[in-house]
Amino acid sequence: MKNDSDPGSVDLNSIVASLEPDQLISAKEKLHVPRRRLTGAEMILFWALRIYLVLMFGVVLYQVFTTVK
Amino acid sequence: MTDSTPAPKPLRATPTDVLAATSSADVLITHEDIDRAHDRERVWHTRSQRGFRSRARLLWLLVGPGILVMLGENDGPSMLSYAATGARFGIGFFLPFVILTFLMACVVQEMTVRLGAATHRGHAELIFDRFGPFWGWFSMIDLMVGNFLTLVTEFIAIRAGLGFFGIPPFVSVLAAWLVLFAALMAHRYWTWERVTLLAAMFNLVFVPVALLTHPHWHAIGSALFTWKPLPGGLTQDTVLVLLADIGATVTPWMLFFQQSAIADKGLTTHDIRFGRFDTMIGAALAALAALATIIATAPLFAHGMAAGNFEAAEFAQALRPFVGQWGSTLFALGMFEAGMVAAVTISTSSAYAFGEVAHRPHSLNLPFRQGKSFYLVLILEAAAAAALVLIPGIPLVYIVLVVNVIAVLAMPPALLFLYMLVNDREIMGDLVSPRWANILALGVVIILIAAGLLFGISVVAPHALAGIGGS
Repeated sequence: MKNDSDPGSVDLNSIVASLEPDQLISAKEKLHVPRRRLTGAEMILFWALRIYLVLMFGVVLYQVFTTVK
Repeated sequence: MTDSTPAPKPLRATPTDVLAATSSADVLITHEDIDRAHDRERVWHTRSQRGFRSRARLLWLLVGPGILVMLGENDGPSMLSYAATGARFGIGFFLPFVILTFLMACVVQEMTVRLGAATHRGHAELIFDRFGPFWGWFSMIDLMVGNFLTLVTEFIAIRAGLGFFGIPPFVSVLAAWLVLFAALMAHRYWTWERVTLLAAMFNLVFVPVALLTHPHWHAIGSALFTWKPLPGGLTQDTVLVLLADIGATVTPWMLFFQQSAIADKGLTTHDIRFGRFDTMIGAALAALAALATIIATAPLFAHGMAAGNFEAAEFAQALRPFVGQWGSTLFALGMFEAGMVAAVTISTSSAYAFGEVAHRPHSLNLPFRQGKSFYLVLILEAAAAAALVLIPGIPLVYIVLVVNVIAVLAMPPALLFLYMLVNDREIMGDLVSPRWANILALGVVIILIAAGLLFGISVVAPHALAGIGGS
C-alpha cells in the first residue's frame, strides 16, 4: 500500500480498518456498480417523465414570455 | 456492512474483494481516506461507550447532512416565497400546507440516507453507473440547470438582504462569494460541515421576528388543525405560490447533495438510524423557520398591504411598523443568511455531481491541489451566478418564484431514479425500501405531478381552473 499524503505519518492498516471495505477510494475506483437492463415498462416511464418535463418547461417559458410581454 | 445479506448478493465491494485490492502494491491510500478514517475512528470509539453522554456525542458526530440539506433548502427563494405567501394569503391555508411539504421532503430525503450509507457513492455516480450515460446526462442536465438558476436566486436574496443595510449590490455579492470561498479553505469535510451548520442555524432568526408581530396563537392553532380553504380560491397566482412553496422544500439538488455528503462524511449502514434522525431534526428546524416567516409577514395580509412584488429588503421595511427596527433588521439578515448557506450547499452539490460523473476526485477532504476540478466547479459556478445578479433591471421576485416552480417540475424524473435505485436489491441488499416507504414515495410523486399539471392548466387555460374549484 502507498500513501499519497504524508508518508510515515499515519498507520495505513488503521486507516483500512477504520473504513468499510468499499469506502476506500481505490476500491471505489476499481469496483463500479454494474449497469442494469431497463425493462420495457421502465423505459416507457423514463420517456414519459422526460416528455412531461420538456412540456412543462415549455409552459414555464410561455408563462415567462406572456408575463414579460 | 451487510455482507451477511442473503442472495441476491449486493453489488457493493465485499471485504474479500477489497482485501484483494488492498493487498496489491497499486493501492493508494489517499488524503481523503485518511481524513475520513479519522472521523470514523471517533464514531467507533464513541459508539463503543455506554451512557447518555456518549449517545449525545454520537448524535453530534453523525448529524450534519440532513440538517444542512433542510436548512440549506430554506434558501433565499424559499424564504421569499414564504414571505410572499404570508403577505398575500395569511396563515389559514398555508401553515398546514407547508408542514405537508416538509413531510414530503422527509420521505424523499430518507431514501438518500439509506442509498448513501449502503453504497458509499454519490447520487450522480450511481445513476450513471446503473442506468448508463444516456439517462445519466439527462439527470445531470436537469441538476446543473436547476442548480445554476437556484444559485442565481441565492445571490438575489443576498443582494436584497444586504441591500436593506445600504450595501451596494456589487459589494454584497462579492463579499458573499468570498465567504463561500473561505468556507472551503479548511479542506476538511468535518470543519466545512460544522461551520456551515453554525451559519445555517441562523435561519431560525425568523422565529423571533414572528414573535415580535405578537401572533394570534388561537388563530395559528386553528389554522394548523382545521386547514382553512385558499383565500380567493384557485387562481393562476395562487397556483404559482403553491408550487413555489412545494419547490421551497423538495428539489433535485437536495437528493444529490445529501447522498454525496453522506458518502463524503463516511456514514455506513450502522448510522442509518442517526441519518434519519438528522433528516427529521433538519426538517423540524426548517419547518419552524418557514412557518415563522409566514406568520411574520401575515400582518401585511391582515392590513391589506399589496406585497406581491416585494423583495427581501422591501419586506423588511414593510414589517417595521409591526416588528420594529430590530425585527426588520433580523428579517433582512435572515434573508442574507438563507441565500448564503444555500449558495454554499448548492454549489457543493454541483461540484460533487460533476466529480462523480467526470470520475474526478470529489470531496471536501481534498487539498486544493488534488481536488482542483471539484473546487473550481464550485467556485466558478457561484461566480457566474453572482455576476448575473448584477445585471440591472432584472425582475427578481418573479425569477425567484419561477425557479421554485422549475424545481417542482424537475422533481418527478429525479424521484424516479431515486425510487428505482433505492428498490434495487442488487445494490441495496436488505436495505431496499419497505412497502410503506414506497407508498409514501409514490404519493409524493403523484402530488408533484398533479401540482405540475395544475400549474400547466393555470397558464395555458386559466379559465379551466374555475372548473376544478377555482374562482
